[in-house]
Amino acid sequence: MTSNPGSIPFNRERLVTVSVMGHIVHPSFPGLPAEPYRLAADGTPFLLPTYGGIVYNVSVGDSAYGWLADCVHPGVSIAFPGENGNRGLNIFACVGNEAVVMSGEGKGLKGIVTGKSGRFSEHVIVHFPKADRLKFAVNDKIVIRSRGVGMELDGQPAVKFKSLSPELFDALEAVVVDDRLEVPVVASVPAHLVGAGAGLTSEGGSVHLQTTDRAEIASLGLDRLRLGDLVALEDYDSRYQHGYLRKATGIAVIGQTDGPRAGYGPGMTLLMTDPSGYIKPVIDPSANLVELLGLKP
Amino acid sequence: MLRTNHDHLVTMAVAGTVSQPTLRQPGYIPDKEGRGVILPGMSGIVYNVRTGDPAFGWAGDHVEPGVSIAAANEGADFALHYLSCIGNEAVVTSGLAAGARGIVTGEHARMLIDFESEVYDGLSVGDTIQILAEGRGLKLLDYPQIEIKKMSPRLFEAMRIEAVDERTIRVPVAMELPVRIMGSGAELNSEYVDQDLMSGDRCLMRQLRIDQLRLGDLVVIRHADHRWGRSFRNGAVSIALCIHGDSVMTGHGPGIMTLMSSAEPCIEWVIDPGANIGRYFGLAKETA
Repeated sequence: MTSNPGSIPFNRERLVTVSVMGHIVHPSFPGLPAEPYRLAADGTPFLLPTYGGIVYNVSVGDSAYGWLADCVHPGVSIAFPGENGNRGLNIFACVGNEAVVMSGEGKGLKGIVTGKSGRFSEHVIVHFPKADRLKFAVNDKIVIRSRGVGMELDGQPAVKFKSLSPELFDALEAVVVDDRLEVPVVASVPAHLVGAGAGLTSEGGSVHLQTTDRAEIASLGLDRLRLGDLVALEDYDSRYQHGYLRKATGIAVIGQTDGPRAGYGPGMTLLMTDPSGYIKPVIDPSANLVELLGLKP
Repeated sequence: MLRTNHDHLVTMAVAGTVSQPTLRQPGYIPDKEGRGVILPGMSGIVYNVRTGDPAFGWAGDHVEPGVSIAAANEGADFALHYLSCIGNEAVVTSGLAAGARGIVTGEHARMLIDFESEVYDGLSVGDTIQILAEGRGLKLLDYPQIEIKKMSPRLFEAMRIEAVDERTIRVPVAMELPVRIMGSGAELNSEYVDQDLMSGDRCLMRQLRIDQLRLGDLVVIRHADHRWGRSFRNGAVSIALCIHGDSVMTGHGPGIMTLMSSAEPCIEWVIDPGANIGRYFGLAKETA
């Protein structure tokens, strides 16, 4: 039995669209007299651009590797000034949601949510075409018309959707084949390479591919991942936080770049999870947000 | 005989106060199936769960055995965390139990101290406990590739570590943990607190007998590099200590705190169910 692509029934008409707002955040460092270095996995200090701000030259679709950066966010990073409000932004914003600039020179320009970051930053990552980024200033207001939280497949309550917009779910053209939901992914990440983010919330934030062992990463082809690639998490249950469970499967999107710290590497925003093997990742090298959401360069 | 720089270590006082458990409104944490539960375990004085007891099976979450202490000021609290070492002596310096001596047995969000049972009756939340911190900077002079963390000379001597050859040492441990179940805490540096083993796959816990783990057990994790942060590296070996109890939350479980790490396979181990710091320090109930 095979369903038609994009015809999987879910509670689309019941989803509520609600505004969440963030300001473009400024990059930050710990205050003096703390030294500015972070430590790489081999103990060497490094000083590189990291999360936050407007990133002019790194975009979804580019390689997740090779940048002189520590888990940098492509495009624009936003946060709400206030912990509870920022939780609302970080949880309700869904990958594929539309974002509209509400202040500054870029007023009225539209972007698309492409990922989230977790503990220590808690930003939402928004793609805008490169030319648009030149018009933005730090602190500009961006409103996201969030929609997706609460999504459920008809008859499959164990499958949980997180940070996933109905638009992206449609674009994935998932199909049910032999009672399993086939979802396209570029690559599959084994549990031993999942690092920072394990045990933390799966309703927002990120869980990271850990890349300290470069040979291991290369042997699995994970060194070719691009920002915006869909990936599978093997043996990971992310229904309520992220954790190891055989047969559980997650689907996530690469949201931010690699970095030198132990336990870290490209960040992944979780989109779907299922504890018992209903989700079946199918390798498709073109499963990237640029094509799926029609992101403009 | 393994040579160390013990004679050059600096001993200094750090102090904290016995903590009060705290909860966030409305108190629930999600268990593995998403059900909200309220459980005791973290902070405070835990009277009936102590070093040497099982890590699994308690009606609690992240149970911190014995007494949990913290410093009120953030900088002082970091010093308490970064300078205290497992096996350091602790002295109660206020309250009814003033003068009683205990031992640092772990580091979670607070430092964990265990005492002889009769001391507990005199302890109050808010009492000050001072630690004679010694162990930062401890090195194996002939094995520079093996990093030592938060280990007092007293613990180092108790662990029965042997030289195998000029590159390799051997350590008795209670069990081996697979690296693929190492979870929450991967986002932190490895000088600070612990990393939970993920106990959500209960069948795996039984199959590998990880559910027999005890608080205070020494464990080995192969392919885990804990020198600067905690990450997967083929061939690396880390020796760690079980410091808190199991958890109902996904991605969590008993806490595993780093004591030694090598990026290369320079640490061998032998399985010995007696490799528990409660036994080494005379704290475990069965040896009391």
